[in-house]
Amino acid sequence: MKTKRFGFAGVIAAFALAVSTLVAPSANAATEIVVWADESRGPNLAKVIAAKGDWVSGYTVKVVTFSSFDALKDAFDKATDASGPDIVVGGNDWVPTGAKSGKLAPITLTAAVKARFNQTQFVDLTYKGKLYGVPVDINNVAMIYNTKLVSTAPKTFGEMVSNYKALKASKGLKAGLCIAGGGMSWGAHSVFSALGADAYQFNSRGGIVYGRAFNATTFGKNVRTYLMDGKKSNGFFPATDTGCKDNFLAGTVPYAVIGNWEWADYVAKGFTMNLMPVPGVADGTYGKMFGSVSGAMLTTFASKHGVESGAKSLLTNFFASTDGQVRYQALEKRPPAEKGAQADSTVSAAQRGFGSAASLAGIPQIGAFLNSNKGGANYWDSAPAYWTAVLIDGKDAVKEASKLASIWRANTDGGKGDL
Amino acid sequence: MTYLIRGKIALFIKVIFVTLIVSVLLLLAQSAFAQKEYVISAFLAIAVLLLALTYLTKISIPLKFFIPGILLLTAFVLGPILYTVTMSGFNYKTGNIISKEEAIVQIKVRGIESAPSGQTFDIKLGTYEGNPAILASDINTSEYFISTQGDRIPLVASALTFNEYGVAVEAPNFTPLTDSEFATADKLFTGARFTFDDRFFIALEGFEAGVVSQQVLEYLPESDQFKNLVNGGIYTDNGRGNYALTDDKNAILEPGWRAPIWFENYSKIVTDSRVREPLVRVFLWTVVFALLTVLTTFALGLLLALALNKPIRGRRIYRSILVLPYAMPSVMSILIWGGMFNTEFGAINTLLGTNIAWFSDPNFARVAVILVNLWLGFPYFYLISSGSLQAIPSELMEAAAIDGANPRQIFRKITLPLLLQILSPLLIASFAYNFNNFNLIYLLTGGGPRNELDGEIAGATDILISYTYKIAFGSGTQDLGLASAISLIIFILVASISLYSLRKSKVLETFA
Amino acid sequence: MNKWLRQDLWRHVVGISICLFSLFPLYLVVISSFSSTGSLQLSSFIPREISFANYSKLFNDPTIPYLTWVKNSLFIAGSVALLSVMIGTASAFAFSRLKFKGRKFGIQLLLLVQMFPAILAISAVYVIMERVYNFAPGIGLGTQPGLLLVYLGGAMGVNIWLLKGFVDSIPAELDEAAKIDGASEVQTFWLIFVPLASPVLAVVALLSFIGTFNEFILARLFLVDMESRTVAVGLQQFIGGQYSQNWGPFAAGSILASIPIVIIFLSLQKYIVSGLTAGSVKG
Repeated sequence: MKTKRFGFAGVIAAFALAVSTLVAPSANAATEIVVWADESRGPNLAKVIAAKGDWVSGYTVKVVTFSSFDALKDAFDKATDASGPDIVVGGNDWVPTGAKSGKLAPITLTAAVKARFNQTQFVDLTYKGKLYGVPVDINNVAMIYNTKLVSTAPKTFGEMVSNYKALKASKGLKAGLCIAGGGMSWGAHSVFSALGADAYQFNSRGGIVYGRAFNATTFGKNVRTYLMDGKKSNGFFPATDTGCKDNFLAGTVPYAVIGNWEWADYVAKGFTMNLMPVPGVADGTYGKMFGSVSGAMLTTFASKHGVESGAKSLLTNFFASTDGQVRYQALEKRPPAEKGAQADSTVSAAQRGFGSAASLAGIPQIGAFLNSNKGGANYWDSAPAYWTAVLIDGKDAVKEASKLASIWRANTDGGKGDL
Repeated sequence: MTYLIRGKIALFIKVIFVTLIVSVLLLLAQSAFAQKEYVISAFLAIAVLLLALTYLTKISIPLKFFIPGILLLTAFVLGPILYTVTMSGFNYKTGNIISKEEAIVQIKVRGIESAPSGQTFDIKLGTYEGNPAILASDINTSEYFISTQGDRIPLVASALTFNEYGVAVEAPNFTPLTDSEFATADKLFTGARFTFDDRFFIALEGFEAGVVSQQVLEYLPESDQFKNLVNGGIYTDNGRGNYALTDDKNAILEPGWRAPIWFENYSKIVTDSRVREPLVRVFLWTVVFALLTVLTTFALGLLLALALNKPIRGRRIYRSILVLPYAMPSVMSILIWGGMFNTEFGAINTLLGTNIAWFSDPNFARVAVILVNLWLGFPYFYLISSGSLQAIPSELMEAAAIDGANPRQIFRKITLPLLLQILSPLLIASFAYNFNNFNLIYLLTGGGPRNELDGEIAGATDILISYTYKIAFGSGTQDLGLASAISLIIFILVASISLYSLRKSKVLETFA
Repeated sequence: MNKWLRQDLWRHVVGISICLFSLFPLYLVVISSFSSTGSLQLSSFIPREISFANYSKLFNDPTIPYLTWVKNSLFIAGSVALLSVMIGTASAFAFSRLKFKGRKFGIQLLLLVQMFPAILAISAVYVIMERVYNFAPGIGLGTQPGLLLVYLGGAMGVNIWLLKGFVDSIPAELDEAAKIDGASEVQTFWLIFVPLASPVLAVVALLSFIGTFNEFILARLFLVDMESRTVAVGLQQFIGGQYSQNWGPFAAGSILASIPIVIIFLSLQKYIVSGLTAGSVKG
């Protein structure tokens, strides 16, 4: 019995030892800067940061990659300083809520760093006059056309519609223009805009005009003329984005709006990057698309973890630097936000193509307006609802347009305070 | 094998096992205590006590069966539920998430603003006469100085060493930090105020840059107020989790904190028509949805069970195929169904030769939801019913057959009533499950269609849980307080419906 | 032949038509898994191409540890199935066979607790596990043992009705006889009850295995590390992009992941369908 007791004590001791390693406080050194990112950016960031280890002297950087953008958002919404990141790479629309709730911390960039960016890109990352992150990459869309179906770049919206009608039967077209990337609100803004419905109005000097929305009659009539056949859709523009990419690649849709993150798929299928903005109703005009930026944002957890200055240094030395963005975008393949990196020779033709389409017809994505709910629905929900109501349910294009205009007007007014 | 369960050896194994678990938990309790997680530590300590008492004494035999389940249930189900219920008494939403202490710290941080000049300096960190100091250079104006937290020492360029960018890196009496010292210096330098002039100070923005700043908001601890040092405005605690300007209730400082507002979230459900009206509509659809789902899945499952209740040829193959909807990850199958219902390219419309806009018409969308849930759910009822069919004594049916009853009569008069009796708890459980079937709605329709242009708040297929989830975790404003209040009400509703039907079906009487 | 028609034809008609209903969506999943376009191939029923790119991606791409995910899923779902059945059976047995104060109250409480919309308590679970991580990093947020514990939280209530129904159907004489032999309640449970109930336990274990295998809302919050993810979480990265979705690998991965479940089901089929209730009492 005695030996047994010893054995017993031994087992417990061994087990306790095992458990104590389990519970030993993690080497919680305040020399580690934790960066959270999504499934696409995370692995690339990790590689680039590790390749040149000394972005911030004396610190190591750990990149935590989430399984999806939504998972990242979910975790960031719930995280406290016990597990939260020091820097999070996310969408610019996280700025207003994150700042309001005290999860994001303001940063001040020096004039030299600021000069490296197009100033409108900071609009997306600003809340009530304070900046909450640095622009990392640009997300935008552009229109691509299938040169086997249409040989030249269309000059007007009407030209695309007549091309579609002419080829419909002979080529078995399923649609004329569809949205392959960005969805029926964000991705479709250039179509809204080409037909006369911009999300918000600018004056001739580029300033935002409050209390005014697009002209609902003009837009509604354009929709009737180009997209409708009486009370029904003429088939040119599908109300949803499902199947668009497939059908474009299969050659049954001549024009598609695609996102800059997926161009490689089109190149792989043999398409050249014949990119352009969506042409407007009149020759020489173009529909405007959002050029939104993803930001690397500083969290309030960084100061609790004792790495605030380190994290700020990482933001300027890596995320906002030419060197950092060139290295990162060589893998991530989105258009870089930083000017020096945009000019770099390693940036591909497609990255440039999106960049030039954006510079021809890009407007900043202003979360304060688009996320506002003052009109009863935000931009993201109301925009697809318009296509459904008109193209599928066959409601009156002008009447629905005036509802849309009043929602967007109220949202612009409501979001004013958050700028 | 019996010796493992009876006798001295069994006892010995049990004692070892219990002791091991108890010691692990004790260790955990201790380290939880060390990390100041007192609630968790107390819970673990109580768990240890309960486990030891239950398994090493004969204090209660039922507890021996229940205790592992009870402990886990308390930690991961009851605890979170209690937390949620508590949160329903708070103003707990976007803008009011953190605690008041944290909010005060952050308002102070945001109360620092850069000077109107916008001047910034390239800096080097180090010490000057033993104190933390920065060596500041303005390469545009060639202005150089050392600044500590109480003093500013101007320098002349001739006494300095510069790097390739023209930033001073060495100065007399200034000891720069080595690279490896940065991390340890972070806390010391972050938030420190280095002297600039009477009005402004230099705050660090990383290790390389200093920004000329001023404190605009000051906290007054005695009166629990913030004061704007520039225009004199006073912000006081408005009792709802924000500091608000005395003259203008709408001018609040951000961030706010979660503050108790007691029953306001509940009263909002009744009084605020933008909350109440969609909720009532959603509730009705939820009940219809759950009932129809139970009915259809049970009916189809039972039909199959009856058809395959005989060893016909190919039964094994049928069964293997029928369980596939169950084996496929439901996330995948729900999303696939979503694609199949697409108007332009969907397989369903192609198959039927129609052009129905399934997900933009409220009624078609509801039909689609029920149909998909039928696909997901019938294998379960098939399994359960075929098991139960065999539990019905065959003598009963044989006797009826001898009495001249035809198969249909046997089914109506004997099989179905018996089955219903056996399965009623499971039917009720299925109702309760589908009442809260979040995944289906979330992944299939997202609650839609919803006529946003006409200001609808809830979608046509939104059930209570998906609607509440949107309130709590949706994009835009997340109102966890209100969502908690609604979830408590959902709970009361489901619970009472289920308890009522259980009472009616007399299932609980077996526990009398 | 005539007799066969009369008796069995309707059975085959029902069987075949419901099988078609079951298979139809799965067929589309298979098609998309062999397509290289990356979207749900919905426009035609005949596959336009057969490409193994998605499958090879799962096994050959070093950034996608698919087999590790499968292992993780099998481990987590297997442990949850085993432990939750143990916990659930113990409580079902106690509720069914033991007399004690608060029995009715207990089972009602258990039933009610399950009706709380658990998804809204996620924030609280997250906070708890975050704190556990602070003092015991091995079992807190981000770890598989942590997730396991959270899943087990609901184990007592899982399928309690199913289990209880079967416990009730086992004749009480059997364990009363054991009692007369001098066996304690615990011994009766292990020696008499568990062997008798094993077919039921298999069913319950399978149900809980499948449920855990498919769960992703909690899992994707908990298992962030690439190497610790489950299949459901790992595959979700293909379709959860900020703007883009790549269905091909997701479909291929889902098909492969469902194979173990189908195998488990088929091997337990005998238990599941015939043995659900009465089977063991006879034996």
